[in-house]
Amino acid sequence: MRQIRSILEGVGSTVQLLLRALSYVATLPRQSSRFIEQCYLIGYTTLPIVGILSFFIGSVLALQAGYSMQNFGVMQFIGSLVGLSLARELGPVMVAILVTGRVGSAITAELASMKVYQEVDALITMNIPPERMLVLPRLAAVAVMMPVLTVIANIVGWFGGAMICKYTAFISLSPKAYFASMVQYTKFKDVFDGMVKAEVFGLVVVLVCCNIGLNTRGGPREIGASVTRAVVVSLILILVLDYFVTKILI
Amino acid sequence: MNNAQQTARVGLFFLLGVALIWVTYETLSGGKLFRDQGYTLIAGFDDVKDLKKGDDVRMAGVKIGSIDLTRLDGRRAVAVLRVDSGVLIPRDATATIYMAGLLGSNYVGIGMGTAGVPPLSDGQEISTTVTPDFNTIMSELGNLGKKLDGALGSFSSAMNGDGKGNGGLIQNLDHLVTDNRDKIGATLSNLQSVSEKINNGEGTLGKLVNDPDLHDQLLAAINELKATATQANSFMANAQGIVDHVKSGQGSLGMLLYDPQSAENLRVAVQDFRDVSDKLAKGQGTLGKLISDDSLYLSAQSTMKKADRALDGMTDSGPITAVGIVANALF
Repeated sequence: MRQIRSILEGVGSTVQLLLRALSYVATLPRQSSRFIEQCYLIGYTTLPIVGILSFFIGSVLALQAGYSMQNFGVMQFIGSLVGLSLARELGPVMVAILVTGRVGSAITAELASMKVYQEVDALITMNIPPERMLVLPRLAAVAVMMPVLTVIANIVGWFGGAMICKYTAFISLSPKAYFASMVQYTKFKDVFDGMVKAEVFGLVVVLVCCNIGLNTRGGPREIGASVTRAVVVSLILILVLDYFVTKILI
Repeated sequence: MNNAQQTARVGLFFLLGVALIWVTYETLSGGKLFRDQGYTLIAGFDDVKDLKKGDDVRMAGVKIGSIDLTRLDGRRAVAVLRVDSGVLIPRDATATIYMAGLLGSNYVGIGMGTAGVPPLSDGQEISTTVTPDFNTIMSELGNLGKKLDGALGSFSSAMNGDGKGNGGLIQNLDHLVTDNRDKIGATLSNLQSVSEKINNGEGTLGKLVNDPDLHDQLLAAINELKATATQANSFMANAQGIVDHVKSGQGSLGMLLYDPQSAENLRVAVQDFRDVSDKLAKGQGTLGKLISDDSLYLSAQSTMKKADRALDGMTDSGPITAVGIVANALF
């Protein structure tokens, strides 16, 4: 019962945080420096790990598909499989998980520290709502950066699959055939659906991490617990929401 | 890192992302955002099958557009085709839904139509034709299987009986063999005896089979028959030539049969002959009198008698008085 109440409290406070942050949208142009800084942290600094991971995920996907398909003689469909899988599912989910691990944990740690060390209270005392100064720029930054990260992850993953198809002996599929198959069955709608999913995941991850960070009570130990909790809740929410968002988009 | 550098990197990163999204869009959807949208045609079908928005519209296998949307229009399904503006489709061209593969993808194929016919314009309806889809073919195959099953059942009943006391072909054959076992045995025995005789060279057939001289004679007889047939053939060819010759009106017979003048001459000759014979029969003229009047005969007989007597006298009186005696007898 206590756990259910805790979950409901978490959902309620997160929605309240979102609504309060959205009420300050008009102040966003005046916070451009914070917005740019968050864009840099969320997008630019996450790009290398997203590129490396998506390249290898695309490669492994092509390798596994080639290994499975060689018994059926349908190697020419590897491009379609990798293209659709990355665009519709793996690209957005993988980027969301990376953002959770790299950005979400940092947000929770930062806000929890500010809360524990009463910096948030000081902001409130100075009549600066933490939702306006701490949450809104992060939400706006993740909303702008998630589609960009996702499309980069997709393209790097597609090229990783193409390289594996060309240089793996038992696949030996030319990049031309690989991309022709991909273009034939992968439409821009698939990529767009992936970007919508990534957008939802990104907003949810930042909201959850901000909420858990701002609701931290206690000392340094609670900061670590909040970070762990934020990452776990974010990962669960990503996978649960993935099902429902996919269901809506199909 | 100062604030300006950070802003520049974020800006570059964002622009790179937007550019990549644009490239992806151009590659996967043909990038029609700022291009000529072409024109639309309406194609009505009883069933649009698995046709979806974005599927190809092709003419002679070349992509000329895509499906804008599919919707219900009363009691039929309608596909709105967006065709590239550079492609003109004649009014008599027809649209058909084809299967692009077994994976369920379809496309609309448009015929070339007739050259010189005015083209369809934006919003007009194109005529359509229906082709059987995969499900129809499978259904037909199912019906075929049922028919085949029925045919095989009938065949089986015919062979093995229908289980209601009516024996099949095999049972009837079995009864026939069982009932006539002795007769069949005797017949086979006779056949064996006949074959032994033939093998031993007995009888006409046996000699024919075993005696090489008889074989040679038979061969010679056949060769003679062949030669005779050749001669007969040659004779028939000659006869045919003669008949052709006659038919062409050449030669006496041909002229007689096919020349009107000759026929007229013959008719006149026969008529004349008939007149002469009539006169002869009636005793007219010298010859008629000679035939029908015996007085001349009698006179001649009398004269011959007199001559005979005169000759007798001449024998007696000598040759000098012979002339006088003959003259007296005659005159």
